[in-house]
Amino acid sequence: MGDKPTILIWSEHPALARELVGAARQALGPGGDVALLAPTGVAVDIRSVDVVFTTESADESPEAWAALLAAAVSQTEPALVLVGATKLGLQVAPRLAERIGAGYAAWATGFTLEAGTGAVAARCSLYSGGALAYHQFKPGRVVLTAAPGALTAPADAPSPERIARQSTLTAEVDGIAPTVIGVRPKATSAARLEEAHAVIDIGQGVKAEEDLALIESVAALLDGQLACTRPLSSDRDWFPEWLGLSGKKVAPELSLLIGVSGAIQHIVGVRDSRVIAAVNNDENAAIFAQADVGVVADLYAFLPVLVERIKARGMRPAWQ
Amino acid sequence: MNIVALVKYSRDVTEIKVDPATSELRTAGVPERVGLIDKNVVEAAVRLKEATGAGLKVIALAPATARDSFKDVLAMGVDEVVLIEDPFDGEAEAGIVVRLLEAAIRKLDPVDVVLCGFASDDGYSFQVGPRLAERLRRPLLAYARGITPEGGGLRVEQNLDDRMQTVTAPLPALVSIDEEAFPPRRTTLMDALKAKKKPVNVWGIETELGLSRADLESSARIADTRLTGVVVRRQQRVLKGQDLGAMADELIDALEQAGVLKGAA
Ligand SMILES: Cc1cc2nc3c(=O)[nH]c(=O)nc-3n(C[C@H](O)[C@H](O)[C@H](O)COP(=O)(O)OP(=O)(O)OC[C@H]3O[C@@H](n4cnc5c(N)ncnc54)[C@H](O)[C@@H]3O)c2cc1C
Repeated sequence: MGDKPTILIWSEHPALARELVGAARQALGPGGDVALLAPTGVAVDIRSVDVVFTTESADESPEAWAALLAAAVSQTEPALVLVGATKLGLQVAPRLAERIGAGYAAWATGFTLEAGTGAVAARCSLYSGGALAYHQFKPGRVVLTAAPGALTAPADAPSPERIARQSTLTAEVDGIAPTVIGVRPKATSAARLEEAHAVIDIGQGVKAEEDLALIESVAALLDGQLACTRPLSSDRDWFPEWLGLSGKKVAPELSLLIGVSGAIQHIVGVRDSRVIAAVNNDENAAIFAQADVGVVADLYAFLPVLVERIKARGMRPAWQ
Repeated sequence: MNIVALVKYSRDVTEIKVDPATSELRTAGVPERVGLIDKNVVEAAVRLKEATGAGLKVIALAPATARDSFKDVLAMGVDEVVLIEDPFDGEAEAGIVVRLLEAAIRKLDPVDVVLCGFASDDGYSFQVGPRLAERLRRPLLAYARGITPEGGGLRVEQNLDDRMQTVTAPLPALVSIDEEAFPPRRTTLMDALKAKKKPVNVWGIETELGLSRADLESSARIADTRLTGVVVRRQQRVLKGQDLGAMADELIDALEQAGVLKGAA
């Protein structure tokens, strides 16, 4: 540690690892070192980091990654370890913190590292995104996780040309990891939600699967992709995925929320939309405080009228 | 076989409001309860109990006044609740909570299966399972959608980011369950009556767990935490009335003004 602090980075996702490298570089300025444990089989731009660890191990279990990271920690003595907040990363990071006796916080959206002391402070998302926690850590090593896009480093973050020192890491995994006996890929929807200009986001106010025809008629006029709240996916199985805390996050031009109550766990999935509109028949629904424009109406009565008026007035999405 | 389910006494985050002027969080009066994810944990544990004939205890960290909040959990089929009286008022960092849970599990040993949620409703930081696995040195079967006893161990269906994965591990083991995978059963009046006879034992961290508050505090890695609310800046225009056509027109106008819709060229 000392006055030339190191930040160690790992994510199994190359794009997320690159994002974390950018954020680390920016936090360190020219003074410190960025070390990267590279995801298996991925070529790294070795000019953006100072130290690269690669591994030949085919073991991609959380136990194996935690062991490799612990080995990388003892070689680089980092003040901070940044891990991508995926389901895998969120298993690896707390394990590592426990193993090396480091401080730990999840869902960082920003951090500072004091050059002289190595003291770390972090801003983290809390209460499903409804709050921010500012943690000042005690002196000593800290592990943080950050989700994709959470630590947005400017695209033009300075990346001085460096030539990284490279070495191969191996680590012993003790015999307490579960044994993998089968793997099958998950169904994902064909809809490219992240690329949609408009998202028509429906909730339990939509009662029956037949009613999707009505929703689709709205979506067609607005050039929108259908999305839903968690119960429509997990309980009713209408869609393979949902928006929100535990689902996808989108940031389209327009999100139109239909029959959605506005629970914070759902709202975090759409709150970066440029414009939010909502239809709900309960005037007291939380969604109205989260929307730019809200309509208090029964969706079954209102949507056909909306469709008729959009057509009658010859309105089109602005991007078409 | 003995099962322990870890249950978090959590804040209902949907009730946390933010003062729009000051960004201050209004947490006073926010109800605390057995978490929704944690009810799923109990369901998973009861199913495993039914499949194996095991004993089942719940460990929770909560104020002693929360005793009555565990009636439902007992009615679902748990034999006993161990309530660790929380000396930190729900504010301890996860590293400390994990030490308390570890001590309670060790005191209940032999414990063959520890079940917990992949995260809690309020903290949602995914820490407890992995950290306990490290401390207890037990295999962690994380993000479980299905749990089956098999060959003296467990087989678990894991819901990972991009795939479903089947894993096995011998006992003793730790399982963290995926959200909503085990919707809690409805309980009957009979269950509730039976639950009345089941114990909620309150354990003190010093008296029963043999830990010292000072030692726990010195293991904290976070010196200070400040919270602020996230304020949404939306226009919050609300259209209501009887004339649906007029409301549709107003919505269309608003979307046109916002640059989302445009008229016929
Ligand atoms: C830890 C945790 C994580 C979670 N993660 C997510 C997540 O990622 N994504 C997610 O979506 N949820 C998540 N949830 C669940 C979330 O808290 C809400 O329960 C859920 O989003 C509610 O979905 P909903 O709005 O469709 O349903 P409801 O809350 O039931 O709302 C339905 C709404 O429809 C309205 N309505 C009914 N009939 C009509 C009608 N005829 N016309 C107009 N309006 C009507 C009602 O007034 C109501 O407001 C999570 C919960 C927890 C505890």
